[in-house]
Amino acid sequence: MRRLTHPLQSDLALYATGDLPLWRRPLLRLHVSGCDSCRSWVEAFSADRESLRALAAEMPTGVNWDRLAAEMSANVRVGLEAGECVAPRVRRPVLAAGWRVAAACAGVTALLVSAWWLNMPPAESVALGHVVQKIAQARPWHGGIRALEDAGPMVQVSAAGIQLQQNGGTLGMSQGQQRPVSVTLSVQGSARARYIDADTGQVTITGVYAQ
Amino acid sequence: MRNRVFLLFGSSVLAFSQFGQQNLAHKIDFPHDAPISLAGDEWGGSAATVRGGAYAIDVRVALSLRNASQRRIRGITLTVLAQEATPGGKGSISVPSLDVAPGETFSVRGDLHLLRPIGTGASPMVEVSLDGVLFDDLNFYGPDKLHSRRTMMVWELEARRDRQFFKALLDQSGRDGLQKEMLSSLARDGDRPQYGVQMVRGRATNTDGERDMQFAFLQFPDAPVEPMGGIAHIAGNEARAPKLVVHNRSPRVIRYLEMGWIVRDSQGHEFLAASLPSEMRLPPSSSSQILPDASLRFDSRTSVESMTGFVSSVEFNDGSMWIPSRTELDDPVLRRVVSPSPEEQRLVQIYRKRGITAVIDELKKF
Repeated sequence: MRRLTHPLQSDLALYATGDLPLWRRPLLRLHVSGCDSCRSWVEAFSADRESLRALAAEMPTGVNWDRLAAEMSANVRVGLEAGECVAPRVRRPVLAAGWRVAAACAGVTALLVSAWWLNMPPAESVALGHVVQKIAQARPWHGGIRALEDAGPMVQVSAAGIQLQQNGGTLGMSQGQQRPVSVTLSVQGSARARYIDADTGQVTITGVYAQ
Repeated sequence: MRNRVFLLFGSSVLAFSQFGQQNLAHKIDFPHDAPISLAGDEWGGSAATVRGGAYAIDVRVALSLRNASQRRIRGITLTVLAQEATPGGKGSISVPSLDVAPGETFSVRGDLHLLRPIGTGASPMVEVSLDGVLFDDLNFYGPDKLHSRRTMMVWELEARRDRQFFKALLDQSGRDGLQKEMLSSLARDGDRPQYGVQMVRGRATNTDGERDMQFAFLQFPDAPVEPMGGIAHIAGNEARAPKLVVHNRSPRVIRYLEMGWIVRDSQGHEFLAASLPSEMRLPPSSSSQILPDASLRFDSRTSVESMTGFVSSVEFNDGSMWIPSRTELDDPVLRRVVSPSPEEQRLVQIYRKRGITAVIDELKKF
């Protein structure tokens, strides 16, 4: 015959107050629901708790709580000072709150820089560098706002082909693989690059329109 | 704690991984009555990459097209559109100097870099459509949104002029004469300078020490338009707000004019800086101003010493066009800085690859 094992009374008390760990509650609830003895213990603990709460709510007459709190704080300090006389307290080195924030910021910055370095296309980094450089050169804090005005995208032609640029950064180049035999720029905001197929001689002319 | 750091790092790396390439959706849209039909297409290597607030789109396309008309095709222009309103969102692929018989197939290859803002569609996409086809009788088909009729017409007229010149040379001087001309064209190609030029709409960024500089002009006696004068503001390595006055000395109304702008720097280097196209309505014996709203910026070491303009093409009101003759282009400056026609470059490439006999055979086709 299987012997019924009752939970410890401390567990029943914790269960009654709702302080038992979550993962132990279902098993104990199952036991209490089928065991009159333990259920009566739980009810008793709950009743005692309610009684104590009611008693604690009633402040004894003539007690000045503010004064009592001040005396308690003073007594704690006196106790600590007395303890220092016997042996100095060992303090754990703790970083000040400001340093903790700085360290956290440095960590996040390192993380972002690493992610940037690993993933960001080089052209994007160059464009950002140009923007920062432009701001530094314009010195808007000295009233150089006009120099920061964005003139819009620019078309650039060179021996390498057609580039579309904005904020000093290259947005892209047409025919990245092949070198054109000639490039022309129109003041209407377009550019053409001419390519020749080495085998067939077929001429292909690509155009990009910035406006 | 260490696990949390790794988790955060992983999340950041994932967040940044959006900068990786994405597949590119594409669409080819030709009108149902188009004189060409699609025989095949290849998009290998096309991709979109996130750059800030836009997709940087690499379009690598090879189309196989069939001439579905009853006429020979001389040129074609396709529009490649990533986003109509975005600067850099639109491109074109043109193939001049074609000779495609009815029913024949031909290939069009393009490698373009375009932009498309993120958020204008679910995924990055490009659309290829037909802007125009030019036939051997100089008739044109297409919506002509990129003004490709005019451009292809110039290329075709240049091709006819140059083939005629080479044929005459072959008749007069034989194979050796033609070969000599091919070699000298090759040499000019190798010596032609190509300097970096930026074009910015509106005001220049450098206005320190600005001065006005007059244009000089190359005069073509047969040109229907005569440049009368011109000026541009020069500041350091920038030239802005060019202003030109032209006179129509032909008996016909002119609706379009394109001029070339040659710049010479203080070290004596000359190069073709830009073309100055202008839509206009210029009646016979009248003058007009050309005022393009643009600034050109050259290499930082370039100090503009002088500027020269020349008329490169004219379109009359009836759609016919004028281009300079070989004699007019036989100017030392123009020969040095202006590229030859696409047809001359095609013939020179055939000579380079297959020899003078192949060039002669090619000339005999027309």
